[in-house]
Amino acid sequence: MSLLVLRAWLRDWRRRPLQRLLTLVGVIIGVAVVLAVDLANQSAQRAFDRSMDEVAGAATHQVLGPASGFDEALYRELRMAGWRDTAPIVEGPARLPDGSTIYVLGVDPLAEGPFRGAASDIGDVPVQRLVTEPGTILPPVGWFRDSGRAHESRVTLEAAGGAREVTAIDRAAERDQADAATDEGGGSLWVTDIATAQGLLDRLGRLDRIDVRLTDAEVDVLAEALPAELELVPVESRGQAARELAQAFRTNLTAMSLLALLIAAFLIYNTQTFAVLRRREVIASLRLVGVGRRAIFGVVLLEALLVGVIGTLLGAVLGIALAQVLVAQVAQTVTDHFFAVAVTGVTPRPLALGAVFLLGVGLSLLAALAPAWEAARAAGAGTTGRGGLERRARRWAAWLAVLSMALLLAGGGLIVTGAGALVGGFVALFLLIAGLVLLLPWVLVWTLRGLAALVRGVTLPRIAVRSLERSLSRSAPATSALTLALAAAIGVAVMVGSFRGSVEQWLGQALTSDLYVVPAAPASARGGARLPEDWMADLVARSGAVSVSTGSSQEVVSERGLVDLYVVRPHANWLDYLPLLESTVAREALGERLATEDAVLVTEPFAAHHDVRPGDRLSLAVPGGQRPFEVLGIYRDYGNPSGTVLMTQAAFVRAGMPPDGVGSFGLRLPAGVDVEAVVERLEAWLAEQDRAALVTRPGDIEQESMAIFDRTFAITHLLRVITLVVAFIAILGALMALQMERAREFATLRSLGLLPGGVRSLVVLQGGVLGTFAALAAIPLGLGMGWLLIEVINREAFGWGMDLRLPWDEVVETVLLGIGAALLASAIPAWRMARMRLVPALREVP
Amino acid sequence: MEQQGSVEGAVLSLTDVAFAYPGEGEVLHGVDFALRAGERVAIVGESGSGKSTLLHLAAGLEAAARGQVHLTGQALAGLDEAARTRLRRGRVGIVFQSFHLIPTLTVLENVMLPLELATDLSAGERRERAAAQLEAVGLGDKGARYPEALSGGEQQRVAIARALVHEPALILADEPTGNLDSRTGETVFALLLEQARATGCSLLLVTHSHELAGRLDRVLTMRDGLLQSAGSTEAAPA
Repeated sequence: MSLLVLRAWLRDWRRRPLQRLLTLVGVIIGVAVVLAVDLANQSAQRAFDRSMDEVAGAATHQVLGPASGFDEALYRELRMAGWRDTAPIVEGPARLPDGSTIYVLGVDPLAEGPFRGAASDIGDVPVQRLVTEPGTILPPVGWFRDSGRAHESRVTLEAAGGAREVTAIDRAAERDQADAATDEGGGSLWVTDIATAQGLLDRLGRLDRIDVRLTDAEVDVLAEALPAELELVPVESRGQAARELAQAFRTNLTAMSLLALLIAAFLIYNTQTFAVLRRREVIASLRLVGVGRRAIFGVVLLEALLVGVIGTLLGAVLGIALAQVLVAQVAQTVTDHFFAVAVTGVTPRPLALGAVFLLGVGLSLLAALAPAWEAARAAGAGTTGRGGLERRARRWAAWLAVLSMALLLAGGGLIVTGAGALVGGFVALFLLIAGLVLLLPWVLVWTLRGLAALVRGVTLPRIAVRSLERSLSRSAPATSALTLALAAAIGVAVMVGSFRGSVEQWLGQALTSDLYVVPAAPASARGGARLPEDWMADLVARSGAVSVSTGSSQEVVSERGLVDLYVVRPHANWLDYLPLLESTVAREALGERLATEDAVLVTEPFAAHHDVRPGDRLSLAVPGGQRPFEVLGIYRDYGNPSGTVLMTQAAFVRAGMPPDGVGSFGLRLPAGVDVEAVVERLEAWLAEQDRAALVTRPGDIEQESMAIFDRTFAITHLLRVITLVVAFIAILGALMALQMERAREFATLRSLGLLPGGVRSLVVLQGGVLGTFAALAAIPLGLGMGWLLIEVINREAFGWGMDLRLPWDEVVETVLLGIGAALLASAIPAWRMARMRLVPALREVP
Repeated sequence: MEQQGSVEGAVLSLTDVAFAYPGEGEVLHGVDFALRAGERVAIVGESGSGKSTLLHLAAGLEAAARGQVHLTGQALAGLDEAARTRLRRGRVGIVFQSFHLIPTLTVLENVMLPLELATDLSAGERRERAAAQLEAVGLGDKGARYPEALSGGEQQRVAIARALVHEPALILADEPTGNLDSRTGETVFALLLEQARATGCSLLLVTHSHELAGRLDRVLTMRDGLLQSAGSTEAAPA
């Protein structure tokens, strides 16, 4: 390719820097969002995996007991019986003074050798200190750097055992060498001696698990040898559910980021088409002096490649910066819902960078293909003009409408058949989006024609509307970009609004007591913490409660792996409040059967993840072996995304399971009682007890739960804003292009006597028409996306069902935002057109 | 009431008018010219001599760097963009070389446009007058079509109808036959002249064709930014 041809082409950059900048912005934002979400996801995933691996170490199996732990004497018995590759563990979450959650791992350094490298080197000074100095703990090396603490400092940790002060030792400083590399500077695992952990986590004399390394032959032998209340489970089964759920959450984010990229693609296509059209004189002249079609095609693609490379590189820089913000949010969500992780930094992986580079550059090239083809088709002056392009665009609109029907049918088919589970859900979502987006140009043409007929006889509005229709290649992609962004905003609003409403309703139903007494521990640690059962009488005496319920969570072994079992001693009319979705038994008979038979209820996510239906039987490990429990029904619950099995205390005891303390007491107070006075009395009494406990009101629990909920979805709001920004730029670019192309018409109108204000009104009217169309088209698309997110994707990903709620205020807000954005975007071209010099514009070649 | 500097009885007058495009040298170097009511004048000259620029100044599309332009007795200097536009739309009709019809409006709507912008006529009246004007240029049956469906000659006839429909005092025509073949050009020119005579408006026409120019009341030559009488080296008398 001739250098002069390239120069003739690229010199336009100097003449119209704003247009090039818009193209670059499209690539930059699209690439940045995808890379940022990918990096944040990957960093959170690595932190999650690292934490899980550190906790599990090199064990093949774990010996587990009830949630309150089991007697540490069992560990000594195992060792004495010859099981040498064993290590006792006490573990649980705790909270730092700054509110962040950590994971405390209490180990016996003397037994750790085969398991966890970090805590096993007894010759290592800091590890020795764990044994010799009670109350010492080894934080991850990076913690000292990040918190700015001294190498040995006192830290107050709040955990199941209450608030305790410990001495944090900097491992690297003690060793006199910085081995942060091995710790990757991050992680949330704080290693301590088992005795210290027992104090911190309220496990005096008890263990949470025993890690073991077994050969295949030894598994059955040990399983047989264990006491009835203990179970031997493979390491992989722990954390698997959390891993899958975290993966589903990340898939949701990735889909959102790809949507932003799709919208960016519209922007790139728009500006590339405009770049070609603006240079049709250059193309015609080049063709006339003998430049071939291939060279023209090549030069357009080369320009796109250049834009792609520059945009992707800048987008990568922005993406890495954005990832720092996102990663904290993703990690917080994983911590809130699944497992305490801490991510201290984002490490871009070469593979991810390479993939995003290919994506950014590839997208730029793809978006430039059609304009390059148009340019190459040109044989001489005028042939690349708008007339031919627009005629082809109108023809294409009809064909795209036919194609869209095929995509919509395919998407609908996937939804109806439920094929492909979660991935199938996303494919269906994208098919529906693609189908509706491809339908938009055709709908836009007919809408504009209808509008033009409506304003027949009103010349200026007619010019505005007809001009939009005649510039379909310009107006359709911009409208599609804005429609997509607004639809995504509405879809997410419907999903989050429905979810939030359902969670709020569920909390209102689930929290049927007036006060709760719970262990003093971080929210994520409460499930495993216990209070003495014999507190009940004292609590009744001091509160005057008319009814007391209890509840406690624990992991039990089932034929479907480890499951979360919630044991309740409920209030008398508890079933009236239970959001029962399905049941084989009438509600009136349900309480009786749950109390008197081997029967359980399961939550909606449990039923979804384990494919359990009412009437099925679920085998749970009880002392003496497996015992089948009939699933009587499924109820709605958002407490545990992995799902929960609910059993009454009566059934639990009858099954021979050991008494296990109480996870929470729920007190119903007499009507008219002074609740604050009761709280004060209870707090005074609790202060005298040796177990740390709190009195909480349902409102506090609701507040904390909704705060976690809002944190989870904060990232989607951020992505929504970014998407809208891209769409705004797309519509701004399109309107600028549209007005520039129509400059001659505007100049003619001005020469005939249209005032500058009239030109401004005309341009703003066009922006308003496009914005209103996009906003109105976004409503059905957005509601459809919301429905799909709720009914297909979230159900597949999390197993959560929720009631569809239409947040009309947010829908109206989004519609107004879209129209406002389009009007705002039209302000700049309106101002430019009103101020343009008429004579040069009149001289432009039509 | 005539303003100071305006030539009495002139529809258009230019007094010592100079003009330069931004970043370029002067195109007009002190032009004096007057066009009387009902007079039809042609300006001929080489490309780039400044004849179209003179037309743009007369229409108020550009502002003179020096000197005075009066349109129907109203000085353009000192008027802002909107005031110049109001003056133009009421008193001037323009015919361009490349027609400049609005492609998104039908032929009838194109002709109605000046009436909508410049008069208070009702929609029905506007339609009626536009239809009559189209009839006058021989396109009464083409009102519902869009410009792109017409030939070049027909498009220019529509442009003439559009320039005349609001009964302006002055028609400015910039190479109205420049984009047409000679036969069509002849027809269009004859129509323009006939319509101008019929309505009694003044006509200032810019053309390369001495033959067509010679059929008007007076011919002036633009050379190097100065206006001269045809065949004369003196400035044209005002």
